[in-house]
Amino acid sequence: MPENELQPGLLFVVATLLPIASFTILLLWGAIRWALRPYASDNATVKTIFEGLGGAVPGQAPAYVATAAIGLAFLCSFAGFCIFLAEVGEMHELKHKLDHAKLHPGHHDDHDHDKNEKAKHNEQKVDKAKDAKGEEKKKVDAAKQAPRNLQGEYNALKNRWEGAWDWARVFPKSTHDSARGSILQIGFRIDMLAAVMFVMVTFIATLIHLFSIGYMSDELQKEVEDHEVHTAHGHYHRRGRFGRFFMFLSLFCFSMLNLILADNLFQIFVSWELVGICSFLLIGFYFERTSASNAANKAFITNRIGDAGFIIGLLIFWTYFGTFNFQEIFARVRAPEADSHGAIKLGKESAGHKIVRGNLVKKYPDGSASIKVENGVGDVAFIFPRETPGHFDAPRLGREKYAYHDPAPTQYGYIPYWLLIVGGLGIFLGCVGKSAQFPLQVWLPDAMEGPTPVSALIHAATMVAAGVYLVGRCYPLFTVEVLLTIAYVGAITLFVAASIAVVMTDIKKVLAYSTVSQLGYMMLALGVGGWTAGLLHLLTHAFFKALLFLGSGSVIYGCHHQQDMLKMGGLYPKMKITALTMLMGVLAIAGTPFFSGWYSKDEILAGAFGFFMVNKHHFLLFLLPLVTAGITTFYMFRMWFMTFTGKPRDEHVYDHAHESPWPMTVPLILLAILSVGVAWGWPPHEPSHSWLGHQLHHYSQPKTVEFGDLVDDHGHGIPVDVDFVAENRSALENHAIVGFLALGVVGIGLAFALVLYYYGVLDPEDAKEQFPGVHRFLMNKWCFDEFYSAALVRPALQIAHWCRNVDTYAIDGFLNLVGHWTVLTSAWSGRFDRGIIDGSVNLLADVSYAIGSWLRNVQTGYLRSYILFLALAAMGVWILLYAWASALGAP
Amino acid sequence: MNPAEQLNLYLALGALLFVCGVVCMATKRNAIGVLIGVELVLNGANVNFVAFSRYNPAFEIEGMIFALFVIVMAAGEAAVALAIVLNFYNNHTTVDVDSAEELKG
Repeated sequence: MPENELQPGLLFVVATLLPIASFTILLLWGAIRWALRPYASDNATVKTIFEGLGGAVPGQAPAYVATAAIGLAFLCSFAGFCIFLAEVGEMHELKHKLDHAKLHPGHHDDHDHDKNEKAKHNEQKVDKAKDAKGEEKKKVDAAKQAPRNLQGEYNALKNRWEGAWDWARVFPKSTHDSARGSILQIGFRIDMLAAVMFVMVTFIATLIHLFSIGYMSDELQKEVEDHEVHTAHGHYHRRGRFGRFFMFLSLFCFSMLNLILADNLFQIFVSWELVGICSFLLIGFYFERTSASNAANKAFITNRIGDAGFIIGLLIFWTYFGTFNFQEIFARVRAPEADSHGAIKLGKESAGHKIVRGNLVKKYPDGSASIKVENGVGDVAFIFPRETPGHFDAPRLGREKYAYHDPAPTQYGYIPYWLLIVGGLGIFLGCVGKSAQFPLQVWLPDAMEGPTPVSALIHAATMVAAGVYLVGRCYPLFTVEVLLTIAYVGAITLFVAASIAVVMTDIKKVLAYSTVSQLGYMMLALGVGGWTAGLLHLLTHAFFKALLFLGSGSVIYGCHHQQDMLKMGGLYPKMKITALTMLMGVLAIAGTPFFSGWYSKDEILAGAFGFFMVNKHHFLLFLLPLVTAGITTFYMFRMWFMTFTGKPRDEHVYDHAHESPWPMTVPLILLAILSVGVAWGWPPHEPSHSWLGHQLHHYSQPKTVEFGDLVDDHGHGIPVDVDFVAENRSALENHAIVGFLALGVVGIGLAFALVLYYYGVLDPEDAKEQFPGVHRFLMNKWCFDEFYSAALVRPALQIAHWCRNVDTYAIDGFLNLVGHWTVLTSAWSGRFDRGIIDGSVNLLADVSYAIGSWLRNVQTGYLRSYILFLALAAMGVWILLYAWASALGAP
Repeated sequence: MNPAEQLNLYLALGALLFVCGVVCMATKRNAIGVLIGVELVLNGANVNFVAFSRYNPAFEIEGMIFALFVIVMAAGEAAVALAIVLNFYNNHTTVDVDSAEELKG
């Protein structure tokens, strides 16, 4: 690639930077206004500037800035996506040819690395080696000719979509890899997943910005009355915060896009924390309300627990791999497909893209070791060379392999297998926190205290999906055990959340639990090897859940901030657009054929079924999602029926209900269209032929998913067979059965909803009275909050109480005693000082003073008395001299 | 009358003048009177110097010279003292030395 050619990948970078520009503008703008406000009434010049910046009343301009930024970001992303689509095919083709060439021996060079220069460097090395060989040279060169050109073309294409800049050198003590291992980088790497996510996030964010202009219009007043905050003087009054809302949204968009853009774990971690803080700020947007500030704290603290795990994972991988770059970590942890002798095999199986394990045979003083290679068992896992040396040999089954304690980029190393599991679980714990999975799901429903567009953007479509995205990104890092954990966590979450959603009456809470449940589906899919299914569900879910949340926002706005469905009902004639678009969302999430949710959910169920067929004892992993598909249908239709059909339950709310203005309905319509059609493919009746799914599957799915992992077949370790090949085959064969099963369950769920909430044949109240225990249990959200309160919060408070007592009585008591002693000692010391030391000095001064006072009597000031004294003194002296002289016997 | 007896007479005269001068200085409240006393004291001393110059050959020249010095010095002293008295009068409208008691300790 010529140096001066602009990379199309930079379009995505620009898309990322636009929102931060908007954030900066709004921040400065707000800061200047804040600084000028106190002086605006005194000074005419200040007043002019203040008025020019919008004055005391919030204006709509911040919304235009933020919306324009994110809109432009969408255009950039979309353009980038189109260019990427045009090039990805060729890129893939080249990669395929390259891999093929590598798998078949006949030439010695292995270009399994990223950088063009490095490729050249290696070639030179190889060439030098060959010069020595002399005669062989020509033959080898001839064989080498073709792949070298392929490599060059491939690199040129690939370099158009990635780039990295050094950010900070940190030099960890334990790495020899001083060239790269000690550098933190900022970089971007666009693959199909990132490109699609970019388009999805920017598109939904643009619509939600537009929607917010309508929804947040209350904040445009100079003084807003918060009906939910009571003070001694009635309701709380404050300034409108229109600009602040859009400022936070812009910061969030930047953080989210940066998270998708990142090519390394550390950059993701930084963005991860940034989206977390945006979530905190926006949940607590009405921070005067106790519930909102508590919810913000809860969300932030719960996420901290997950992030603690994330940091542990980061530390482990950084220590052992010396890099955060995804491609480099994957190259370290997964075996390459071929070595200098062709395809790598462990026994009969191919080892390509797998974790290769072994047992320590001998450990040397410098920490390096000889490791006997095993098939799917062993205490340590190999760390593979990140940059392949000129000639290299892969581990052979049953042989010993030398591995370094701290491997350079071209050396083998080893990592204890349990640390690989802990690291994977740590990263996953971060995802559990961010994606509100069991057991950290408690924060997301409370997060609904934020404004509804925030719930739609952050807590439904994008940020909470970041956990799923990260699991998808780090997929090759996860061992079998971690994947099984992910699957079970997902399965438990999706069922628990769905069961709670059944009894919720707050429209946003229903949607929040449904979000948790759907995220559980995605995690489950990833855990059972349905990488494409999980991430496709992420994308489709983003559209229909954003739609549902915005729809609920429209209902709430129309009903004057009434969120309780027990006060709604029969709203369909009053808000037809909202009702119909929401119906599209409900149908999509329920998995109705030909709606987007169907394509992804069917794939997930098929994947789970495939897993179940291969591992029969993990039947829960199929049963729970299947049953939950029915529950999902039930509670979503329950919500729709309770809101839009039947008789109005509250006349006051009904009378005031109205359709929302166009900035709110237009996003609804656009999202409804995409909720239906975003996953379509040809032929449309085949869920596996979804175009979007195909793109993800074909161009972005990690090779690990295809090949699975090496697992011991003698029953050691944990009983799971990650034979993704068999699973995928089984899933494919049984797709039709699973599809019909799912449809049946969905039909049953719909039937229940119709019977209970549309036709009113059965009264839901009766059901409630029949099973009061179950109802209460579900209303209490499976008592998670109570459990955490009893198991964690109260013990923590009790311990804190004890600590305080130790502080108050033991430490403070001791300190007070010492203090008392000090005071006593100083009192004595003071007395000594004042009595003895000061006393003696004073005495001296007093005596001098007394003598002086007595002597001044002589100084009369009278001339005559002086003369008298003189005369008398002279006489005295004379008499003395005379007496002395006569005593001496002088004449 | 031998020279020693003659010298004693002169010394007695000098002592008398000196005592008169001191008593005059110690008793007069008028500054001019005090100055007169000063002159008597100086001349009493002069009589001694001259007497020693006449009767002791060892002091023949020195006695004369000292007497002359004292006369010159007395003249200077009288001039300075009169100036002080004049200024004192300007400030206090009196020449009573008892009113000059600002230097009292």
